[in-house]
Amino acid sequence: MNRRAAWISCLAIWAALSGLLSGCLGSRELNSLSIVLAMGIDKVGDEYEVSVQIIDASQMSRTRMVDRSVIEVFAERSPTIFEAVRKFTTQSSRELYFSHMRFLLFDEATAEEGIRRPIDLLVRDSGIRPDFHIAIVKGGRAKDLMELVTPTEVLPAMDLYKSLKLSEQSWAPTAAVNVKDLLMMMASEGMSLVLTGVKFEGDIERGKTSGNVKQPKIYGDYRYTGIGVFREDRLVGWMDEEESKAVTYIANKVYSTVAHVKCPMSDGDFVVEVRKVQVHRKPRLVDNQPLMRLNVDVDANIAEVECNVDVKDEKSIQSMQQVASEELEEVLRAGIRKAQKEFEADVFGFGETFHRRYPKRWHRWERDWPAKFKAMPVEISIDYHLRRHGKIINPVDNFSDEGG
Amino acid sequence: MDEPEMQGGFDPLLADNVALLHEVMGNSYDFIVRELVLPGGCRVALFYLDGMIDKRQLEDNVITALHNPILLKSEVTVSLLLTGVIEAGEVKRILDAGDAVDEVLSGGVLLLLNGARDGLVVSIPGGEVRNVEDSKTQPVIRGPQEAFVETLRTNTALVRRRVKDARIRIRAVTVGAKTKTDVAIMYLQVVADERIVDRIVERLKASKLDKVFDGQYLEEVLHGHKQRTIFPMFYNTDRPDTIAAGIVEGRIAIFIDGTPFVLIVPSLFVDFMQSAEDYYQPYLYSNLIRMVRYLSLFICMLAPAIYIALTTFHQDMIPTVLLLSLAAQREGIPFPAFVEALIMEITFEILREAGLRMPRTIGQAVSIMGTIVIGQAAVEASIVSPVMVIVVAITAISSFVIPAYSMSIPIRILRFAFMGLSALFGSYGLVVGFIILILHLAGLSSFGEAYLRPFAPFSRRMQEDAILRYSYGSRSAGKGGGNAT
Repeated sequence: MNRRAAWISCLAIWAALSGLLSGCLGSRELNSLSIVLAMGIDKVGDEYEVSVQIIDASQMSRTRMVDRSVIEVFAERSPTIFEAVRKFTTQSSRELYFSHMRFLLFDEATAEEGIRRPIDLLVRDSGIRPDFHIAIVKGGRAKDLMELVTPTEVLPAMDLYKSLKLSEQSWAPTAAVNVKDLLMMMASEGMSLVLTGVKFEGDIERGKTSGNVKQPKIYGDYRYTGIGVFREDRLVGWMDEEESKAVTYIANKVYSTVAHVKCPMSDGDFVVEVRKVQVHRKPRLVDNQPLMRLNVDVDANIAEVECNVDVKDEKSIQSMQQVASEELEEVLRAGIRKAQKEFEADVFGFGETFHRRYPKRWHRWERDWPAKFKAMPVEISIDYHLRRHGKIINPVDNFSDEGG
Repeated sequence: MDEPEMQGGFDPLLADNVALLHEVMGNSYDFIVRELVLPGGCRVALFYLDGMIDKRQLEDNVITALHNPILLKSEVTVSLLLTGVIEAGEVKRILDAGDAVDEVLSGGVLLLLNGARDGLVVSIPGGEVRNVEDSKTQPVIRGPQEAFVETLRTNTALVRRRVKDARIRIRAVTVGAKTKTDVAIMYLQVVADERIVDRIVERLKASKLDKVFDGQYLEEVLHGHKQRTIFPMFYNTDRPDTIAAGIVEGRIAIFIDGTPFVLIVPSLFVDFMQSAEDYYQPYLYSNLIRMVRYLSLFICMLAPAIYIALTTFHQDMIPTVLLLSLAAQREGIPFPAFVEALIMEITFEILREAGLRMPRTIGQAVSIMGTIVIGQAAVEASIVSPVMVIVVAITAISSFVIPAYSMSIPIRILRFAFMGLSALFGSYGLVVGFIILILHLAGLSSFGEAYLRPFAPFSRRMQEDAILRYSYGSRSAGKGGGNAT
């Protein structure tokens, strides 16, 4: 290659790349940034109160000298979020850095008024990565939750985040919704937004001091509880734990959960550990009206047995399967009933399913989908399998019968 | 110049010749002139440099031989001495006084006969030379251990012993107006491109070098001035097996008297990333090690630059927990990450140079100081962050993984350039810098062979021994890749 060609191609590549990678110029040293891990938005009067939880990095090192808090919470009031964010510079010497934001919390008042407005900036701004999770603080202020000293993780936002992930994995009634899911749900007519709720437990004022974690007993903590149902972008009500389970089951987001079931022929309960759930949606038309059929495949293990049964016996297993299946159907029905009758909000996204199956018809239904959803019959058929019974076969009290 | 006349033949009068040589050699302390009277009454003189010849051979094969009774019977002439008397290995007749002086300077014994216009040179070089030892610069665990020494003839023999092919040709050139260093160019006829050999010989003859002690002198003469680069264009090694493999592949080796390092051309980029050991270990293992080596090359060149780019431009690309840990370490560090990196890298380069140059006996002291200064005190004094020490350490260790020292030098230099680029432009600068580097490499060629071959231009056959080494059993027939590194 001759020299001139080399230089021209260099310049061409430089120019092309500067288009693609622009916006990166302007370096910032790590110790000129305040890393924001969580943001809370509360409604105070006509204004938003925005609170941010930032990390004091010096407190993250192993050799920290003084007893300072690992996080700090700043709060500002302003009619819009962006103004509040800029106002923080009057309080803090470092630029707020939002790329690593993990959590966004709304209080109920903001959620009831609509979250479309406050969320706009957080999606629009190039400095914020849209992968944070969102939850509603049930019966409290987001700012208070920001200030909570959490027991398991040093960083409260990480604690909230990991706990949400974990509970979604192994305890069904929470919905880990990140901002991309949220936008998708808000954009869709055939699917209502759901956000998980989080509330305080215990003494919140003591929970905000470092004293909260100085002894084994914890004074104040948070707890994920139920799922908040939205119509459009407004919170309309809450589902309790069982009903929330129905939502996650039908959304195929149950990875593992446990449920207790009454024993078929004796007193007491047995507990199943659900290992795999697959809900197949079969949308149908009956007299030009929608009908949804749900085929549910469940694989579960027996986790605890209080019943007086012989687990070795095929018949008793079958009857246990039967009651477990009925129990699950009842859970699903209760959730669907609540969504249909009380909230009139299609939290399961059945509308989306019809949209895909009957696209043309959907466009006629789209307008009055809430009414159609309310009246729509839902059929459920469950294929339940109890697979394993653990290391022992029969319950501990009739262990002697087993003969090894 | 005021040098005595050394052209033409000798004076028939021995005394005149003795005087002339004394004048040329300036009555040097080690210049020995020994005059003898032969049994027949004829006078001869022996000239040599003490320490440059094998004295024992001189006694046994020259001086004793001169008392041969045959000299009583017939007339003593130079040709009689040449054919019938002197029993030493290499004897030749010499007519020119200037040539005779050169022979004496390179370890010959000059014999002049009274009344003759010509002389004899008995070549019995001697004196202390180093024995063949293990390679110190490129040691291997398994495989040939021998390394070249400072003696040219020994070195060419070490290669000949490995390639018993009659087509091996050696051409000799003398380079260096003052040092008159012998340079031997070895190649396998037919396989190697003889035009390149001609060009090398031509350029060496035309060179105006005063002195030559190592291949680097020749590299700078032979390398075209149009290609300015910091990358090595001549592979050098002190391993005879590597040179032998190169010869078989059709490359051209350049031996220089007085140095154990032999050059080989054409040299490609991949050569510098290969070690002789690769060919002596199972190919699977060799390939893994080679990949580690390329990884090290990139770490050595880019690690500090990537660290700077990520921490000052692209904090969003670092996982949250890692970012917090990095941020914690940077608390209270007074310098920007770039300056911090620069301080540490320069400190390390100083330490490395010190370790290389200092007398071995005080090596301990330097390494202790280095460890304490770099590793501990700087961190405890909050001048650099611990993670920077890790980055510099991995960079430094990676630079030792590159098998050819001559390749690790440009990589180390480029490291600083990349650090600057990423401090100014972040990963954008890094990417552009890297593209320019590749363009530069793709533009280089070594004696007609593209430097980035077999990748640019691509050659499927040569992939057999580029980044990976294929198993010997699976190679394509004919003249497949050998193991020239």
